[in-house]
Amino acid sequence: MSILLDKVSIRAGDFGVDGLTMDISTGSYAVLMGRTGCGKTTLIETLCGLRPLAGGRIVLCGTDVSELRPADRGIGYVPQDGALFPTMTVHDQIAFPLRIRKLAPDAIESRVSELSSLLGLSKLLDRLPAGLSGGERQRTALGRALSFHPRVLLLDEPLSALDDETREEVHGVLSDINRHTSVTTLHITHNRADTEALADVVHILSPSGIDPSDP
Amino acid sequence: MTTAPHRARADTAFLAALFVFLGLYVALIVAMLVADASFTSPADLWEAIRSDEIQSAAVLSLVTATLSAILSVWFAVPIGYVMTRFSFRGRALLDAVLDIPIVLPPMVIGLSLLILFSTPIGRAIESVVPITYQKPSIVLAQFAVACAFAVRTMIVTFQQIDVRHEHVALTVGCSRGQAFRHVVLPQVRRGMLSAFLLAWARALGEFGPILVFSGAMRMRTEVLPTTVFLELSVGRIDAAVAVSLLMVAAALIVLWIGRSFGLGRIGQ
Amino acid sequence: MRSIALGSVLLAALLSWWVLRADVGPATGTGYTLTVHCAAGIKGPVTRAAKEYEQQFGNRVELTFGGSGALLSALTVRNHGDIYIAGDDSYVSDAKQRGLVAEILALASMRPVIAVRSGNPKNITSYRDLLRLDVRTGLGNPEAAAVGKIAKRVATDLGFWDQLRDKVTVMKPTVNDLGNDLQIGTIDAAVIWDATVRQYENLEIIEDPQLSRQARNVTLGVLRCTTQPRPALHFARYLAAHDRGLLVFSAEGFTPIDGDEWADVPQLELMSGAMLRPAIDSTVTAFEQREGVRVNRVYNGCGILVSQMKTGSIPDAYFSCDQTFLDQVQDRFQDGVTVTANDVVMLLRKGNPKNIAKLRDLLRPGVRVGLGHPEKSALGALTTGLLSRTGHLDNLKASGNVVVESATGDLLVNQITAGSLDVVLVYRSNTAHVGERCEVAPIQEATSQARQPFAIAKDSAHPHLMRRLLDTLRGADSRRRFEELGFHWRDGERPK
Repeated sequence: MSILLDKVSIRAGDFGVDGLTMDISTGSYAVLMGRTGCGKTTLIETLCGLRPLAGGRIVLCGTDVSELRPADRGIGYVPQDGALFPTMTVHDQIAFPLRIRKLAPDAIESRVSELSSLLGLSKLLDRLPAGLSGGERQRTALGRALSFHPRVLLLDEPLSALDDETREEVHGVLSDINRHTSVTTLHITHNRADTEALADVVHILSPSGIDPSDP
Repeated sequence: MTTAPHRARADTAFLAALFVFLGLYVALIVAMLVADASFTSPADLWEAIRSDEIQSAAVLSLVTATLSAILSVWFAVPIGYVMTRFSFRGRALLDAVLDIPIVLPPMVIGLSLLILFSTPIGRAIESVVPITYQKPSIVLAQFAVACAFAVRTMIVTFQQIDVRHEHVALTVGCSRGQAFRHVVLPQVRRGMLSAFLLAWARALGEFGPILVFSGAMRMRTEVLPTTVFLELSVGRIDAAVAVSLLMVAAALIVLWIGRSFGLGRIGQ
Repeated sequence: MRSIALGSVLLAALLSWWVLRADVGPATGTGYTLTVHCAAGIKGPVTRAAKEYEQQFGNRVELTFGGSGALLSALTVRNHGDIYIAGDDSYVSDAKQRGLVAEILALASMRPVIAVRSGNPKNITSYRDLLRLDVRTGLGNPEAAAVGKIAKRVATDLGFWDQLRDKVTVMKPTVNDLGNDLQIGTIDAAVIWDATVRQYENLEIIEDPQLSRQARNVTLGVLRCTTQPRPALHFARYLAAHDRGLLVFSAEGFTPIDGDEWADVPQLELMSGAMLRPAIDSTVTAFEQREGVRVNRVYNGCGILVSQMKTGSIPDAYFSCDQTFLDQVQDRFQDGVTVTANDVVMLLRKGNPKNIAKLRDLLRPGVRVGLGHPEKSALGALTTGLLSRTGHLDNLKASGNVVVESATGDLLVNQITAGSLDVVLVYRSNTAHVGERCEVAPIQEATSQARQPFAIAKDSAHPHLMRRLLDTLRGADSRRRFEELGFHWRDGERPK
């Protein structure tokens, strides 16, 4: 399961970067760093298919997804702050992608309990997002993104709003998931501490492109 | 060197000013109602309630206003969504067009509908469903105006909903329609209620277009505002005022219940 | 969310059903049985038309036949049934005068002719020939049959009735009897209707100018004693419709009148000056109920109505506030019939605080005056004319006292009742409900009176129906309503 960017161009209003190339091998945990405003979020949105690709190709696990709709790309996306659906309980958030895929109710239930134990959410299943702390929200968002066994996991600054203690907690969860499921992960951050704890490989995004760096 | 700790200005002046604005406007509304009440008497009110024409006008008013409001919300939700989620050339113009029914004088709307239905297209529609001068024309006239208000409300509502929720829904495997249905709609419930109440109130009070397009025929296309007009047209101001106060009471009750039931207004 | 959507759809569907079904209009329904007294001479067309009607609508029509006069006598003695159709309108008018008939509908005309067997074996050329000894003559009984009465009158005028009466071979009660006798050969000539002759294969018409001049209208009267006026009128309209009943009459050799177009529930449009609303609205509604039709009423200032008409939307009839407005669109209408007249009066606040008595007083400083709009309404036009004739118009305009110009008089009445004006010039009928809040003062310097004509559109599809509406508006009940409101009754003068 890999992420391949081949001379990708991204655009957001007047802002744009061209010639982005990156190759992340299957199962690895990649961290992408860059200054604020350099286009990290734009890049992730383009990878998801939420922004049109201005040039180049995106290949996920050997499939060229450049022309595909977001729903068809098989990407687990966790935006900043989680962006949980405000009117759904934790249980329903995680179950939602499976309901859309028309899984049988028992299959859905077993997957939800599996993920909620993995993420420590079992006691919170009936809560609404308003009743969750920052860390609990991130974990729920992760559960939602992972529920349908995505090919890749894209995390946009998942830890920026958390305090140190919670951050360490979520670090642990992220490594567990990576080891447990071997899903290729691209984690975007501007915080060096994340790279030290999690990264197998580090890339830097700058106006001139993506360059590898040392973790 | 220490400076004296800062003390903010007293709040009294500011709060007083706020309440002056509130008080003046409420006073105007209440003063109009009191002036109305002085022109009528409990006996007049009772006679009005008992009259057959007014009862039938009241029923027609309630039925048509409710139906128009439901239709308005059914249209306003998709229109509001399109206007806030899609960008296309001419969107600003379209936005202005959607406001036309609010800006046009009511009689112009009625006249335009009347003319529309005497064109060949209109006549074709009428051969299936008679409209002009019949009850369905009331619903159409009310809808034409009330929907514009509902659309305004829904546009504001959708603007306040974070697009990222839909984005996540898309990545999670939803089509745009599924994202709309499962993720966006549950968040706009209060906005929809607000739009419904606004459209309902507007439809209930609608008069100009109905006068021209539906006629003002007693017991047939007579809604409560029409009743007021008809009573005035024979110089019976006391009866007109009695019916007006009945309308105020009906509207107050529905809006009060609706708003409390809906747990507050938009923006909660 | 789904339950809200579903619930709202259900509720909307329910309300839509209510809105759509509530206005089907006065339906006639089926299952009625109508009793029709019909003159024998028109048995043919009426039977055929009645059968068509029965098949289409499922109502039964029971026909009894006889001579027009005989039927009328029977009705006078025993008043029952729904409809009376005579071969001669004079019988129906007579019936109306006796209080037996309400609405009258003309159907067709026929003329008396001399009937002979084909080939005219006795070579008859004129009415006088019936006096020849070799001609055996049959006539309708003058008391029983319309054609008999006519034959008698013409012969009397020509001076040979006594002679004819004495030599006549046979007098029969109905024209069909005579036709049969002719056919059989027991008589050689008879005076019957042209239409009757055409019903027989081997009879021929000999025209006599004196007889032909006596054409009569086959006329239908709806009996006052009917217990089911709406079905009766439904059938009557069917018979009188140019594309239904009258086609049958035509096929049977009658000359039909120019009838209304057929519609199960005719939709009519009446435009009327706003000041007429309180006087006519309930009358028109009662008319709708009785006839089983729909009259959509559009009330407004006459100026506004006339502009609408000039753009092409002509109603079936126009009841105008004043002749001057009808004049502007007269080319689209038949001549109007003046029904009422309405004075322009001054309406003052209670107690007349500004002490206004004459038109001149309107010019005093501080007097707030309300007038009708000179273009939009007849009231305004009349008021302007009145002020101009009395020499006050320019001064009044210059004084700035005219605070408001309204399209209709009732708005002015409301404004003065609410206290925002001191004097308004309105119709007397506008002041009907002011009660104690205002005072009415006549205008002494000059009279200004509007005359309200009712005119039927030339191109209306239902002119006869509108004529019946006019007749209803000119009836006693309607007159009372008008006079209670302060209108003067004019009873149908033609405008000068």
